[in-house]
Amino acid sequence: MHAVYPLVLGALLFAIGLYGVLARRNAIAVLMAIELLLNAVTLNLVSFSAILRDRYGMGQIFTLFIITIAAAETGLGLAIVLLVYRQRATADLGEQRALAEPVEPVTADELSPRNVEAEVAR
Amino acid sequence: MSHGYLSPTGLEIAFVLIGLVTLGSGLLVVTVKNLVHAALWLLVCMGSIAVEYLLLTAELLAWIQVLIYAGAIIVLFLFGLMLTRAPIGPTEELNVRHRWPALIVGLGAAGTLVTVIVQAYQHTWFDPRGAVPLGSGEALGTQLFKYWVLPFEVLSVLLLAALVGAIVLSRRGRDTEEAEA
Amino acid sequence: MSILAASSTTATFVAPHVEFGKLSPMLIAFGTATLGILVEAFAPRKQRYGIQVGLALVGIAASFAAVLALAGTTASVVAQGSVAVDGTTLFLQGTILVISFVAFLVIAERKTDQNQDAFAAQGASVPGSAAERETTRRGWQTTEVYPLLMFSVGGMLLFPAANDLLTMFVALEALSLPLYLVCGLARHRRLLSQEAALKYFLLGAFSSAFFLYGAAMLYGYAGSVNLAVIAQHVAHPTAGSTLLYTGVALLGMGLLFKVGAAPFHMWTPDVYQGAPTPVTGFMAAATKIAAFGALVRVLDVGLGVNSAENVWRPVMQAVAIITMIVGGVLALTQRDIKRMLAYSAILNAGYLLIGVTSTTAQARAAVLFYLPVYGVAIIGAFAVVTLVRDAGGEATDLSRWAGLGRRAPIPAALLAVFLLAFAGIPFTSIFIGKFAIFQAALAAGSPDLVIVAVLASALAAFFYLRVVVVMFFSDPLPQGPTIAHPSIAVKTALAVAAFATVALGVAPSLLLHLANNSAGILAK
Repeated sequence: MHAVYPLVLGALLFAIGLYGVLARRNAIAVLMAIELLLNAVTLNLVSFSAILRDRYGMGQIFTLFIITIAAAETGLGLAIVLLVYRQRATADLGEQRALAEPVEPVTADELSPRNVEAEVAR
Repeated sequence: MSHGYLSPTGLEIAFVLIGLVTLGSGLLVVTVKNLVHAALWLLVCMGSIAVEYLLLTAELLAWIQVLIYAGAIIVLFLFGLMLTRAPIGPTEELNVRHRWPALIVGLGAAGTLVTVIVQAYQHTWFDPRGAVPLGSGEALGTQLFKYWVLPFEVLSVLLLAALVGAIVLSRRGRDTEEAEA
Repeated sequence: MSILAASSTTATFVAPHVEFGKLSPMLIAFGTATLGILVEAFAPRKQRYGIQVGLALVGIAASFAAVLALAGTTASVVAQGSVAVDGTTLFLQGTILVISFVAFLVIAERKTDQNQDAFAAQGASVPGSAAERETTRRGWQTTEVYPLLMFSVGGMLLFPAANDLLTMFVALEALSLPLYLVCGLARHRRLLSQEAALKYFLLGAFSSAFFLYGAAMLYGYAGSVNLAVIAQHVAHPTAGSTLLYTGVALLGMGLLFKVGAAPFHMWTPDVYQGAPTPVTGFMAAATKIAAFGALVRVLDVGLGVNSAENVWRPVMQAVAIITMIVGGVLALTQRDIKRMLAYSAILNAGYLLIGVTSTTAQARAAVLFYLPVYGVAIIGAFAVVTLVRDAGGEATDLSRWAGLGRRAPIPAALLAVFLLAFAGIPFTSIFIGKFAIFQAALAAGSPDLVIVAVLASALAAFFYLRVVVVMFFSDPLPQGPTIAHPSIAVKTALAVAAFATVALGVAPSLLLHLANNSAGILAK
């Protein structure tokens, strides 16, 4: 078999996953896209293992580890998503804006002694 | 044996056809407007990758892929969808408003990676069925416990941590339900 | 036939030789964590907190003793090539353990907040609900946090020691997974905390995928994931090098994410702000040390050949410059102290990257010196933040800190020490660290980086000093935040941090000497 076929398949799947992570707004949908990324990687590893005729089968062993960790990660990820959902009733990442850059940056003179006093007085 | 793009072997044809299924279902996973459908397309995608593994003679991995990904992870996703009462019908809510940056990044990554790979491997052929048989459970297990004992043990500890962690995150007292109602 | 060959190998299967002695620091850490889970299962609820904290501290101390026992032994690669135990590894492991010990003292604090630690009694309950009040009244606590953090410590010990990409990945996940979820368990400001956990998790998983794709490409290039084998293939290339460079770029993205370098820093401010403050201190110090250790090993052992260096070095230098600019400039606009410290952490990652890109033994020694002194100071800074409290948790908005120096001179003075150290005032440990890094960079022939770093330091001095000015030269707020009286543990942690920051600035030679001795030895 030509080595390009499996490797290009992996690369394209990775690109699709990348698009998914950036284009999706729902946390679970993003998680699915991350699974695609991981599968792209494992496909690459298995193909490299076959292409290299690796006597040690490192690619396949690595894949075994990735699949296991992906399962653990997905479980934990869904637990975190559920946690957020219970509090906010949404799994929409666009709504997760409590942590963000300050809307009006604090300026130097706002925190100068006099102005802090003024703000407190107000 | 002569190699060429124009005289594909049966194995290559099978691989490419199933690869198209993989890519198509992958694309649907990230584009469909219905989250449950996305999870089901993910199942198709994972299943087709398992078949690709079989074609690459990674038998054990193919079965693990089916068991863990198709079996466990997709079920987890479906549970997650039900528990978050995700929109079951089609909805626009799933995607960010401006998708073109994502599209550019995706296409850019695809272009770069494919160029790199074609450049490096355009003259390489391999025969998945020849050479060392490594896909079997026996061979893989021997390698795993000969050379990768420490990572394997750490992995088992990691699974324990993930298990405990998921319980810690989700546990609620008996009376919480009433309080919420 | 081939199947017969496979079965004959299994017939002669010999159990692999594992060097338990050399691996003992991480084995002790993982063992302590597992014991902690058993305590969770069998110890009565009331005693769990005490047992868990004691167990964790004893475990860290025992692990540190193991590191000390290993110090001076010959550098070697153990566990079938998976782990390199050498001077650099042991120095970093010792540092991580000392930092973790101090961090655990702060994490276990209960006196500052009505006899409760910083974690929600039950992660999933609704803040302020009747159920939560009930669980709090009964004294339920999430004591699982301590074993989980011990798992993380174990991963951190393994991460800088990993000598192949597979082990490195497993260690990366072992250190990250527990942190993802502990981030979401803050008692106060639960929404922020959970949002931080979600963002950290998604971005962390995303960056792991990059790390893995890079590892896969290097495997394709070299036919092995072992760093030494990769180094051989880099030195004597057999295939085209585009695959190598793409692999290194992708792998680098994954590692730079953990390090918190721009443009992969996006998670840092959000996670540092949202996570429970003691955990933030732990992450800011220990994770950074482990991640830099791994970065140094990949670059110096796997890609330390001249031909490869010429390619990645300019890119990494660009990353260092962007990191310093982003950290320095954005810190100026922050009004939340935790967020400001997060940008300061990004800035410091930039300084450290200068040391990493210089790749001389001198630069490596400078990085090794910088990591512990920075780590101790940042833990101290976050520990002070835990003391300044409002009704709803910590008062992190800078405007609330006005006049703190008059109402609470000791915490304010301690924070001032740490901030002045970050600003690089002479006679502080971080000044010496910066000096060592800049000197090494000049010696390695990159004065441009040093110029940017000095400019960034000047900019940074401005926002560190601003906090000091607000604390000492403004009048106290009438309804200002209360200052909690911490327990002896936190007092000890603060004293150790402040003492180390000043003492290592005045008399740095001992640690410098140790760092110099450790940096020269990398097992290959």
